[in-house]
Amino acid sequence: MNVQFKKGVLELCVLVLLDKQDRYGYELVQKISDRIEISEGSVYPLLRRLTKEEYFTTYLKESTEGPSRKYYTLTEKGRLYLHKLIKEWQEFSNGVNQLIEEGVSND
Amino acid sequence: MTKERFLKELEASLKRLTAAEREDILRDYKEHFAFGLEEGKTEEEIASGLGSPQHIAKELLAEYHLEKLEATATTGNIMRAVWAVIGLSFFNLIIVLGPFIGFAGVVIAGWAVGVSFILSPLLVLIDLAITPSAFNLFNLFSSILLCGLGIFILVGMLHATKYIAKGFIRYLKYNASLVKGGLKRD
Repeated sequence: MNVQFKKGVLELCVLVLLDKQDRYGYELVQKISDRIEISEGSVYPLLRRLTKEEYFTTYLKESTEGPSRKYYTLTEKGRLYLHKLIKEWQEFSNGVNQLIEEGVSND
Repeated sequence: MTKERFLKELEASLKRLTAAEREDILRDYKEHFAFGLEEGKTEEEIASGLGSPQHIAKELLAEYHLEKLEATATTGNIMRAVWAVIGLSFFNLIIVLGPFIGFAGVVIAGWAVGVSFILSPLLVLIDLAITPSAFNLFNLFSSILLCGLGIFILVGMLHATKYIAKGFIRYLKYNASLVKGGLKRD
């Protein structure tokens, strides 16, 4: 799939995953790469950018085993942005799906 | 690629960032390696999943340069941001560099015309020094007229340069967000 297109979708995926609970970076990367093929390294720059734009806040949590984890929390601003993205995504994917259906049934 | 090599290359590509910021970024990737190793993956597997450190650095640097541009727009700043945004994709080489050269050309030409108009009375003086007999008033008056025009042009260029720089920064940012992901629109 087109790289640029994927990057836009990646933003939506990260925001969606943080909607219900806080997660740490590695967890986010795994959750996404389980479902879609991504270049894992580009998730971290994305997380930094969205944090700078105040869609997330972060905190460190020590764990008894392994390294300390950097958790991301969705802010109110981030949540509004997420809802906007979801709406755009649904309109977009509905449109594409309809085109596909029409295209396939015409064959 | 081993963990150490990946982190070294990333660190080297991020020289321009402040030490604190670089540390913070490296921390994220160290954490990533630590969790991957815990899950039983090898360093090679984790590094290849992450992709090339240079590519990651490019994304981070473009972001960084655009941010700095918002704080203060100087010529050096704009140049660095232009290169950083071009680095995001080959496609950008054309759609960023083209307009940049165009605008820079207009600005440089405008300044050159203004400055040379202002300096034109000097030519009359030089002419006078070389061939005193050939002096004519028409040359003197027209050069004074050009000098006045030149001052107007420079004042105009001062404003024009500011607006062109501002407009171009907006274009760069729009372009960077376009390349990073088409979903974002604001």
